[in-house]
Amino acid sequence: MDSKENSGNGNGHNKYSGEKLKSELLTVNMGPQHPATHGVLRVEVKTDSEVVAEAIPHIGYLHRCFEKHCENIDYRGNIPFCDRMDYLAAMHMELGYCLAIEKMIGTEIPRRAEYIRVIVTELQRIASHLLFTGVYAIDLGAFTPFLYCFDQREKILRLFEEISGARLLYNYIWIGGVWNDIKDGQLTRIKEFCDNLIPELDKYMNLVGQNKIFVERTANIGIMTPEMCYNYGATGPILRGSGVDWDLRKKKPYSIYEELDFDVPVGEGLKGTVGDCWDRFAVRQQEMRESVKIIKQCLDGIEEGPIMGKVPKVLKLPKGEIYMKTECARGELGYHIVSDGGKVPYRVKAKSSCFTHTSMLPEVAPGLLIADFVAVIGSIDIVLGEVDR
Amino acid sequence: MNTHQEELTLKKYFQNIWNGIRTTIKGLSITIKYVYDVKPVTVEYPEVREILPEGSRSRLFNDAQNCISCDQCAVACPVDCIYIASKPRPKDAEKIKTSNGTPIRRELTQYTIDTSLCCYCGLCTTVCPTESLTHTTDHEYASYTIDQMKYDYLDPEVVAWRDRIVK
Amino acid sequence: MHKELADYLNSVVSGADAKALEAEVGDSSILVATEHILKVCQALKDSEEHQYNVLQTISGVDYPEGVGEDKTPVIEVNYMIASFIKNTEVILKVRVPRGDDENLPKVDSVCSVWIAADWQERECYDLLGVDFVGHPDPRRILNPYDWKGHPLRKDYKAQEVYQGMTVYPEDKQNIPEQDFVVEQNRLNDEAKAAAKKAREESKKDS
Repeated sequence: MDSKENSGNGNGHNKYSGEKLKSELLTVNMGPQHPATHGVLRVEVKTDSEVVAEAIPHIGYLHRCFEKHCENIDYRGNIPFCDRMDYLAAMHMELGYCLAIEKMIGTEIPRRAEYIRVIVTELQRIASHLLFTGVYAIDLGAFTPFLYCFDQREKILRLFEEISGARLLYNYIWIGGVWNDIKDGQLTRIKEFCDNLIPELDKYMNLVGQNKIFVERTANIGIMTPEMCYNYGATGPILRGSGVDWDLRKKKPYSIYEELDFDVPVGEGLKGTVGDCWDRFAVRQQEMRESVKIIKQCLDGIEEGPIMGKVPKVLKLPKGEIYMKTECARGELGYHIVSDGGKVPYRVKAKSSCFTHTSMLPEVAPGLLIADFVAVIGSIDIVLGEVDR
Repeated sequence: MNTHQEELTLKKYFQNIWNGIRTTIKGLSITIKYVYDVKPVTVEYPEVREILPEGSRSRLFNDAQNCISCDQCAVACPVDCIYIASKPRPKDAEKIKTSNGTPIRRELTQYTIDTSLCCYCGLCTTVCPTESLTHTTDHEYASYTIDQMKYDYLDPEVVAWRDRIVK
Repeated sequence: MHKELADYLNSVVSGADAKALEAEVGDSSILVATEHILKVCQALKDSEEHQYNVLQTISGVDYPEGVGEDKTPVIEVNYMIASFIKNTEVILKVRVPRGDDENLPKVDSVCSVWIAADWQERECYDLLGVDFVGHPDPRRILNPYDWKGHPLRKDYKAQEVYQGMTVYPEDKQNIPEQDFVVEQNRLNDEAKAAAKKAREESKKDS
């Protein structure tokens, strides 16, 4: 009878009783075209009613065979290809490649070129972190800071266009030095920019970082412990946000970083636990201030002189291999270059930090709500060009 | 669950409300200033055009009168987008020189750059010995079909750009 | 530093056959026997003196004509490991015979030691065709899942058609311009040969 069927006390006749209902995980595809995945990243998310049970990233949509191209093009011609890996911090990519080759051939780089390289690299770090601030806020729904940050970043890109000729993909740091010289007017403008930046950074911290809604959405979310970071090989702001004091500019110094005085910001868990998304955000804000300190020291100490060292016209590396790591805006970038004595490299392998960080998503995701998952993807700050190369 | 559950006391409840109001007012006071205090940075394109700095690497231009067909740019290009064909000038032709004094010994029969492949790295302009191949500051040259992106620098229409670009 | 590390490995893992390859230019490395790589990595991670707790990257290099004097075709797999506690790093090398598309070379997976090896080994399999035994998820990562071939091998030829699309379409290759250059070069060579012949004949006559 009807009443017996709908009684629902588990007497076996009710087809909606708990034992008979199947519940499965719902697969939601955060597809390659998505405004919050920072590029063409596809994440297959299996959810149990808004709580993520499993997240499987699929990458390879931007694979452009950088490593195969490098085996056919000579050493100087590879620099435009290196730019295009992490297109938002292109100077770091070029610097790592050039330092690896210079270490192998043993050239001496003129002092002025070293200072210019550091100024340009730190400006690029500021530009990349400004973009992170704006885009992370917009991922979480705050539309205003995006254009404020991009206004400041636009000033940096205009400076770069005057110095190197291009706004985003520079081909500026060459083997042995840099391409063009910096004029005094440009140095004055860099100093003005740095002076105007610090009040703006305070503004962004008040507007975004201290805002109660932002804190609620990012504190205690996506906690990455130091053991997890070591196991996965995470570096950069992620490792520093988890409380570990590890910065390659201090631990394995390259270029002239040993002579410069700056601190390494480390996450302390001010708004939640150590290693959550807010800590990674705060570490990047603090890094921008340290970069301004470094640039001011370089502007005071820049010397006159040539900008290019002695490099033979036809460049042939001696037989051997080298693995050189540098600290770029998103983590640690490593170049493994194998040479067999010819004009083109035998093998170039780029170890990208974003590739390693994307592999951490399946471990961090279970237990988060989907909106929190978006906050975690934003806080690890990946650029798909570097993930896929 | 990754979220950290703290005990919610009555004091914490009201503290949360006060924090929310305080931080929102601080944020609003920053954004309200943009209504009356900050100059807008928008450039009203296309009525107002930006002038690019002079070293800016935009459209390529090759001055065919000054080219000595040395093939260095085609060799230096990392994406192989320059196609050069030339033949030797006959021995009894008059001797001509480029604007910086290099004698021209070959006659150019094809000089095509496929701009859709070009990556604007500038390596070809650094190796040109007579500086006939340069980057100009033209940046508004979108075309309707991809075949129009192959620039033939011996075509009279393209040669006519010389008056505008070369000073 | 590499000699002491090689001696330590030989004493802890029997049969590891660790050799320090010192290089004057560039980085030195340690060559290890392929069968014992898992035990060697576990020993390096667990030892109190060294504590290599981070695997940075796994880089594979294809040598179809052998390395140095040894002419057997090998694929060399490099493990870049580092200690973030002691601030040291070392490169471990393993050489496996190359094989071909049907029998891929086999190396033990080190995922149980550092989970960072998960995606790095998938990339090595995808691009070079090294089969990692015991890997939890052996799939391609950068190329599409149904791609054929391993691109970073030196004798790789891309497939002509993939899922109905041509891989290198002819209208994107600028064939008319390239043919013009080839034709002009051929005409130049003919004219040069004809001029040389005319010079020799006039010399014979005079």
